[in-house]
Amino acid sequence: MESAAAMREGDLVRITGLTREFSSGGGLMTPRRTMRAVNEVSLDVPRGKVTGVVGESGCGKSTLARLVLRLLDATAGTVTFDGIDLASLSPGQMRKLRRRMQMVFQDPYSAIDPRYTIRRALLEPFQVQGVVQTAAEARATVDELISMVGLSPRMLSSFPHQLSGGQKQRVGIARALALRPSFLVLDEPTASLDVSIQAQIIDLLESLKEELGLTYLFISHDLSLVRYFCDRVVVMYLGRAMEILPGAKAQPRHHYAHALLDSNFEPDPTQRKVITMLAGEIPSPFAMIPGCAFAARCPAASDLCRRERPALEDLGGGHMIACHHPKN
Amino acid sequence: MALLSVKDISVTIGKLNLLDGVAFDIGAGEILGLVGESGSGKSLTAMCVMGLLPRIGGRITEGSIIFDGREMIGLPEVELRHLRGKRIALISQNPMTSLDPIIRIGAQIDQVSTLHLGLSAEAAKARSLDLIAQLRIPEPEAIHGAYPHQLSGGMKQRIVIAMALAADPDLIVADEPTTALDVTIQAQIIQIMVELVRDRGLALMLITHDMGVVAQACDRVVVLYAGRVAETNTVEAIFAEPHHPYTRELIRCIPRLGQAPGSLKGIPGAVPSVVDYPAGCRFNSRCGAAEDLCRNTVPALERKTSGLAACHFSEV
Repeated sequence: MESAAAMREGDLVRITGLTREFSSGGGLMTPRRTMRAVNEVSLDVPRGKVTGVVGESGCGKSTLARLVLRLLDATAGTVTFDGIDLASLSPGQMRKLRRRMQMVFQDPYSAIDPRYTIRRALLEPFQVQGVVQTAAEARATVDELISMVGLSPRMLSSFPHQLSGGQKQRVGIARALALRPSFLVLDEPTASLDVSIQAQIIDLLESLKEELGLTYLFISHDLSLVRYFCDRVVVMYLGRAMEILPGAKAQPRHHYAHALLDSNFEPDPTQRKVITMLAGEIPSPFAMIPGCAFAARCPAASDLCRRERPALEDLGGGHMIACHHPKN
Repeated sequence: MALLSVKDISVTIGKLNLLDGVAFDIGAGEILGLVGESGSGKSLTAMCVMGLLPRIGGRITEGSIIFDGREMIGLPEVELRHLRGKRIALISQNPMTSLDPIIRIGAQIDQVSTLHLGLSAEAAKARSLDLIAQLRIPEPEAIHGAYPHQLSGGMKQRIVIAMALAADPDLIVADEPTTALDVTIQAQIIQIMVELVRDRGLALMLITHDMGVVAQACDRVVVLYAGRVAETNTVEAIFAEPHHPYTRELIRCIPRLGQAPGSLKGIPGAVPSVVDYPAGCRFNSRCGAAEDLCRNTVPALERKTSGLAACHFSEV
């Protein structure tokens, strides 16, 4: 028999060739145009680890988050959770499985009904899932949840607008944890918070992960935060995974990952940077480019890059890169 | 003598006392960072400097604002309007609050120099094209004829910077100018803005919540907390030897490369709300070193080994 530890190894979520198209227009006046928000992304999410996805607006990171939980259906490709192919499940089966996979949203205020008290907001997941609880059980549940995220049970009768941004996000996390999931997708959970509160929330997420043995997929635009918090980092650009870094210390080799890193100002005036100007801005995702998505802005781009899309290749040790001319 | 001298201003809106004794100077050619978290009073300070406070129903109850040797508080609107745009320009966080969506970009920049510098239409256009090029926007002619919605957020913000520079101001107030932009675009715009300000010897008041931007761009820093100045110093000293515990904690909250997992801790609690500011030092409820003195007596902004800090217990 396998030991418990060995059974806990491996990947909780497997993403293979995941693609999602959106189209716009197609009416009387405008031709139909299609874009791929997520384009053939393959990625494993190891159990008990934090996998980070980083990129700028329009890179497809939030669409990826929604596809992974099947809040959106994929155009092509598969997502398996604990060996189960999500696309094969009926809506009822999918809802059952959602007890094990939950999401924390960027804006906790829009994730909670403003007319609900915090108590009711925390009990809502049980109602949605049809979990019947006695009054005493419900009381014990919300008390436990609220203290788990470091808030006082006195807040249970408050309404969301009476809470600060950080407190609301704690409630958002408590709600996501209500059904005892094993997997959380964190979609920019600290992007709208002040830095002193962001650090509190990251600290809380770290300890909850240890305490409850959770697996995270952490979506962010902040490379330094991702490199601090995550065990692996996926860098996305225009719907594609450009580079996968196996650890926080791994030096990126993709030119786009370098541009992101160089754009990150250190909180240290002795380390001022001279910014190399990237040519242009992120191209429209409707323009389907044949070669590398970053070629138009890349300082090292050659004809090959504009012609042929580089495949994601393993540099060893789990370091993957999609680049014809990686940086040394 | 400082170009702009803000002297112990206090601001109320209705019954709320939002700023309490905020003071700082900006010299010509200096980049001053005004840093703090939400609710610290950064944007309100910008409104005071722009003379826009009455527009939001605010009132300066104490203190004075001296710009180029003249008291700004109490100036008639006609004179304020001459200062705004001509000598003090504003760059706001959202470029669309500064751009008219139905007027071509060129016309909007041209207008600034015809109005404030009295240039002819042709001279104004030439000047605008030159400014667009200086902001490293490709094809200035095409952009001059475009409408705001045809440009990306980063391009629009560059146009707003061009508009701010068009009248040759002495002081630019930039309120979170890159917060809404992607990181690669933010880095480029900060770099261009700093270069242009330095080349022209302008003073820049850069309002931001981002300590990385402060470290990259500023000469001196004012740290605001809950409507008061916590500390002011040179940028080097702010990061190397912060005197106020809030500054120290704020810097510690930023994850650094190679930082050990589990070592990032926030500042406990949250910024107090303006309706229930604590007595004494407003940081006392979140401060690890707070004592009774801090809970009872407001610390004065005092000279330390370098700079000024408002803390009873800062050692140096």
